[in-house]
Amino acid sequence: MQSIVIAGYARSPFHLANKGALARVRPDDLTAQVIRGLIGKTGVDPADLEDLVVGCAFPEGEQGLNVARLIGLLADLPISVGGMTVNRFCGSSMSAIHYAMGQIALGAGEAFICAGVESMSRVPMMGFNPMPNPALAKKSAVYMSMGETAENVAAKYEISRSEQEALAVESQKRAAAAREAGKFTDEIVPIETKGGTVSEDGAIRPGTTAEDLAGLKPAFDANGTVTAGTSSPLTDGASAVLVTTEDYARKHDLPILARIKSVSISGCAPETMGLGPIISSQKAMERAGITAADLDVVELNEAFASQAIACIKDLGLDPVKTNIDGGAIAIGHPLGATGGRIVGKAAELLKREGGKYALASQCIGGGQGIATVLEAV
Amino acid sequence: MADTIRKVCVIGAGTMGAGIAAQVANAGVPVVLLDIVPKEGSNRNAIAEGAVAKMLKTEPAPFMSKSAARLVETGNIEDHLDKVAECDWVIEAVIERLDIKQGLYAKLEAVKRDGTAVSSNTSTIPLANLVEGRSDAFKRDFLITHFFNPPRYMRLLEIVTGRDTDAAVAAKVEQFADVAMGKTVVQANDTPGFIANRIGTYWIQLGINAAFDMGLTVELADAIVGKPMGVPKTGIFGLVDLVGIDLMPHLQASLTSTLPKDDPYHAIARTMPLIEKMIADGYTGRKGKGGFYRLNKEMGRRKEAIDLQTGEYREKISPRGPSGRAAKGDLQALVESKGDIGAYAWAVLGGTLAYAASLVPSAAADVVAIDDAMKLGYNWKAGPFEMIDTLGARYLTERLEAEGQPVPEILKLAGERTFYRIEDGKRQFLGLDGEYHDVVRPEGVLRLADVKLSSKPLLKNGSAALWDVGDGVACLEFTGKMNALDGEVMKLIVKAIPLVQSQYKALVVYTDADSFSAGANLGLALFALNIAAYSEIEKLVAGGQMAYKGLKYAPFPVVGAPAGLAVGGGCEILLHCDAIQAHAELYTGLVECGVGLVPGWGGNGEMLDRARNAKMMPRGPMPLVAKVFETVSTATVSKSAAQAKEMLFLRPDDGITMNRDRLLYDAKQKALSLVDDYTPPEAPEFRLPGPSGREALSMAAQGFRKQGKATEYDMVVSDALAAVLTGGDADPLDTVREQELLKLERETFMRLVREPRSVARVEHMMETGKPLRN
Repeated sequence: MQSIVIAGYARSPFHLANKGALARVRPDDLTAQVIRGLIGKTGVDPADLEDLVVGCAFPEGEQGLNVARLIGLLADLPISVGGMTVNRFCGSSMSAIHYAMGQIALGAGEAFICAGVESMSRVPMMGFNPMPNPALAKKSAVYMSMGETAENVAAKYEISRSEQEALAVESQKRAAAAREAGKFTDEIVPIETKGGTVSEDGAIRPGTTAEDLAGLKPAFDANGTVTAGTSSPLTDGASAVLVTTEDYARKHDLPILARIKSVSISGCAPETMGLGPIISSQKAMERAGITAADLDVVELNEAFASQAIACIKDLGLDPVKTNIDGGAIAIGHPLGATGGRIVGKAAELLKREGGKYALASQCIGGGQGIATVLEAV
Repeated sequence: MADTIRKVCVIGAGTMGAGIAAQVANAGVPVVLLDIVPKEGSNRNAIAEGAVAKMLKTEPAPFMSKSAARLVETGNIEDHLDKVAECDWVIEAVIERLDIKQGLYAKLEAVKRDGTAVSSNTSTIPLANLVEGRSDAFKRDFLITHFFNPPRYMRLLEIVTGRDTDAAVAAKVEQFADVAMGKTVVQANDTPGFIANRIGTYWIQLGINAAFDMGLTVELADAIVGKPMGVPKTGIFGLVDLVGIDLMPHLQASLTSTLPKDDPYHAIARTMPLIEKMIADGYTGRKGKGGFYRLNKEMGRRKEAIDLQTGEYREKISPRGPSGRAAKGDLQALVESKGDIGAYAWAVLGGTLAYAASLVPSAAADVVAIDDAMKLGYNWKAGPFEMIDTLGARYLTERLEAEGQPVPEILKLAGERTFYRIEDGKRQFLGLDGEYHDVVRPEGVLRLADVKLSSKPLLKNGSAALWDVGDGVACLEFTGKMNALDGEVMKLIVKAIPLVQSQYKALVVYTDADSFSAGANLGLALFALNIAAYSEIEKLVAGGQMAYKGLKYAPFPVVGAPAGLAVGGGCEILLHCDAIQAHAELYTGLVECGVGLVPGWGGNGEMLDRARNAKMMPRGPMPLVAKVFETVSTATVSKSAAQAKEMLFLRPDDGITMNRDRLLYDAKQKALSLVDDYTPPEAPEFRLPGPSGREALSMAAQGFRKQGKATEYDMVVSDALAAVLTGGDADPLDTVREQELLKLERETFMRLVREPRSVARVEHMMETGKPLRN
């Protein structure tokens, strides 16, 4: 198989849903701006693009009608470039990358933009018309709320509330420090809104202490351990990654960040969906012929502190190398956009921090995991 | 001069100023709220901004909606006084210091337009002093507007005009205060304390003095003065706790320094060492550590009262207060009660009534102004002169004479007569000329009580009546306790429909009472439940559905005109009206889930229909159902008519009347406006999500259960509600007709009434007035 690379990564600032600076921005407009930013910073010729693949967890309303095609037109991509919306809930935009990789392997194109978006302000979780199948609801926990699954993981792995809070404090600390040091500046595309230009993340809470978090009420179960402070917040945001063959990238002098080494998908019990990354990461590492000890960079999506801790423990990940610039508890988790962010971020960190291998992995509602292993070029 | 008020400026963002600004905003009129620049901090608007922020958290809320709060523009008097030029009315509500007020007026004079009214909210300073040194033009625009606290909820506004005040300016302010702000305006003379506080302070002082002198407990004193005299049950000591004990010395100082030397107040004003000590120790009432009453948190929230003799707190007692006729409004029986009760009642009532009678015409032009001021400013059921009529003017005169007390001129004038009488169906009052004059309502004010004086009901039974309110409009009135609804109401509705159809153009549903309706008569329902008379209950449910749909599809317009509480079945009848004209203070909701039931008189379908037609609702079968489920399953009640609109109980075109006295008139106009080419609505057909939607709603409810916000039985009730709102077994492709939904609603209701835990909820509500969280 020919070598496939991440040749560029960009994202919008991430802001809290409903009260944040992006709440009143349409998700299609938001993504189009990020794509224009990615094209501008990589210098890729849009005419060479085969397809625009956009991940979105609730593709309806302003995110509906095959929003990928609409975004392509909004971003002024040539009419010849395709557009496809992909849904695998939180894994949507990572799946978009995997799809592009597969197409390239098939010989069906050499350059793809793989984007992701979620306006959790403008399209609610569960969508506007949640209509679960009553028979399935009786037989499976597949409709269980994400917060409940986080409680289940905490209980199963005996992860205390203070352990979860320690991870959240660390995530906030790293994200705040990274923002302070300008480490997000390169990846963020400033977004024009009616209220002015938004160029910094808005969800991070610098100075969060364990004491602050200890004072919060459980968010999902009155007797539980998971709080708003140890959960990723509802977030608005978009991400985009340029996926090309290594040959194409070199020929056009694109800024190669990393090579995609292996990918995987796995299913798990819906009631502990947060454990999804364990099997998928193990599969991907096995396919890459490496072990956790070989990883220099890990981007593990923090849907909840409890599931992140469980995955770190079971996979034997090094907390120091995991989420170096902070995770989703601090930065935010716009469902459809997160996969693109963590793959792009892992690639960028591999280049910035040096090292050989990176892993990006996340859990997926309904009981799945998805993982990508990157290799330095 | 602009003849209407389009923008208002309030200067002074204290409790009163901010509250007045909020009420202007509640009227939908933009308002500038200014205060001084704070000595510290960099935000020069901090005081006014802080006042608005505080009001958004205050309960009871000064604002009727969040959108009202957005109409308040904040600023400070150094940087923003020029905004006065944009305003048609400037209300000054700064500290009660003449020099500060005068200084402000001098600055205002420089920036205001001619014809822009300026009024002071002073409660103590004479108008003549306020305008000293101002130009003639300023004096023409100046008056006093004295609001009561809290300005949203207290209906009284005392207006004092000066010798130079332009009548047109005063009329403009009065019109706005009345129609837009909903206040009942009482004209007062430029005398200290105006009307309400002058009499009220006298009354309070008398009550406190007599309780100390006679060695009464505060509980007994309040039990005598409260309900038996038609005064809120807080009585006197409870009221002082509420307004703040520390306010009393200020009022006393102000009145003793301004009242004429021969005013009887000087003889009763005294300082009480116990009260001074309480204030000094921080026992200033409910806002402080406690007052004459307190909750002792160290002793398990024990209710306590202070012993007036020792100054020590002790457990609150239930005194043996007035009994028999004396407890039920017979004032003569009250003041003639044996022992302390009669003596105390006479000391307070006799003195207060004599004092009030001495104030016509010095403080107010006539007896009506005095009575209105006390009823609206102190929430008395009857004004002083109405009370004198109950007691007997002759009786009062003789008793005053026997005690060697002076007898006010107006009492002598009345002699054997009453101050009010009904003549040719009109209410009249005794004027200073010794003649009776009609009590004239302002244009646009219509009270059912007035209609009743001059006519007989078209229909009447034990729970409802139908009246002719003129211009071809009939009025359906509920008459039961709390205007509760029962089978009799439904029977009357069924009878009324053909009558209105044949002889009238339109119908309004309205009552003069404080509460529109507390919903179905739970007492009756409980009785039926206890003897398992389920068929009777089902008859009541079906009868209500039929009566309400009868109103909805009647060939004439029906307008609901609610004020105050309108919950459960009282809300459902409104939902069946062609339009609603609501008083701004409307507390409405479908609260059936709170008693373990679901709405049973068509409320589910009507709410779905409202949600279906609401703008901005996302498409698909779920959003409307989810919106209604959220409101109804939590038994949420609106805190204003504006909020009821946000909650979809009111439609966008439904009207809101700010002044309670104008509600019936406005509702009648609304009904008449619908008469031409009236066609009844078509029955809605719904596309509902069926079992999948029910599953989704159940999941949401389970989330609340997990979070500890809902009980186990709440799950049963909310699932039953979900089943109705989602159309039972409906497939999203099916059309669910109104009648099918009614059947589902009725069956679900009947299923729940058989549940012991629902019965327990109903029982608990009957006994305590609060929902049982089982």
